Amino acid sequence: MKILFASAVFLLSGWASAQDDAGPQGPAVRMAPAPVVTAVQGKSATVPLTFRVARGLHVNSNQPKSEFLIPTVLKVEATTDIVIGKTTYPNGQDMSFAFAPDEKLNVYTGDFQVGVLVRPLVSVQPGKYIVRGTLKYQACDNSACYPPKQLPVSFDVKIAKAPPPPRSNPAQSPHAH
Amino acid sequence: MKRNPLILFFVAALVAAMLFAGIRMTRNNRANGSNHGLIGNLAPDFELQTLDGKKIKLSDLRGKAVLLNFWATYCGPCKIEMPWFVELQKEYGPQGFQIVGVAMDDASTEDIAKFAKEMGVNYPILLGTESVGQSYGGVNALPTTFFVDRDGKIIAREFGLQSRSVFVDHIKKALSQGQAVQAQK
Repeated sequence: MKILFASAVFLLSGWASAQDDAGPQGPAVRMAPAPVVTAVQGKSATVPLTFRVARGLHVNSNQPKSEFLIPTVLKVEATTDIVIGKTTYPNGQDMSFAFAPDEKLNVYTGDFQVGVLVRPLVSVQPGKYIVRGTLKYQACDNSACYPPKQLPVSFDVKIAKAPPPPRSNPAQSPHAH
Repeated sequence: MKRNPLILFFVAALVAAMLFAGIRMTRNNRANGSNHGLIGNLAPDFELQTLDGKKIKLSDLRGKAVLLNFWATYCGPCKIEMPWFVELQKEYGPQGFQIVGVAMDDASTEDIAKFAKEMGVNYPILLGTESVGQSYGGVNALPTTFFVDRDGKIIAREFGLQSRSVFVDHIKKALSQGQAVQAQK
């Protein structure tokens, strides 16, 4: 019974503090667990990373409409085994906010997905590799903005062995009669 | 003695609710500045550089009512307030009122100056530092605005975009409190 009571307090207080963290004091953007993408040696693959903007907040898209706004940018650290290619960002939504009803800002709200192109070197040993980076973003709500933040990002890439090159047809041996 | 699991769950929920309320109150107090003893006390003094390289010390403005506005170029709501501040500076400046903007920005001085020029700012913009922000309770959200009376005491703090009338009320109160210095600097 005591265990039940302690568990209930623990769970409910955990829920309570989780609710509180959703406010401006907590992180405005979180990353969903990234899928493990399999990439073949020497071949490119795209890793989709999903980020979630806390309810009531928005972050600038990668292409905000003003030079003074801070874009959302994912920086992926270079690795020795995997070539990091182009990062693709979704289009933001043009939205007006209470603080500037006549102005449209290009933002991300809710979930948004960023794609990272990876290409393992041909010489890399097959296995699981961790890639790290940071997502820089700057969040606002309807009445205030919060300083730019850097969210640590990491994802796994499973490198598979390249299939053996197709065999060229053996030379036809002349029919022996 | 047998305990009813429902009662136990109710007690657990009550304890959790109290914890939640406690956390909330602590954070709200922080947001209002009361936890840092800011309201009713002397505004923490600082000396910061203006956009044109001069230095301004807050305590040098003693005798004036001061609106201290922490803002940034990336902050949309801050942009809405700025034209109001320009008007309020014109309107209440002759009565001994001074607006001071503190840019809490990663942008270059040139970009901040360009932004201020575009907004037609007619009051000094200072280049904020982390330590000055900390002395005012962290200034986590922008805009954050403090109202300082003529004696240098903080009489109010506003977090986030407010209506113009809220500013006017605080300015009038700040002008009415404390002693005006005859020879203004």
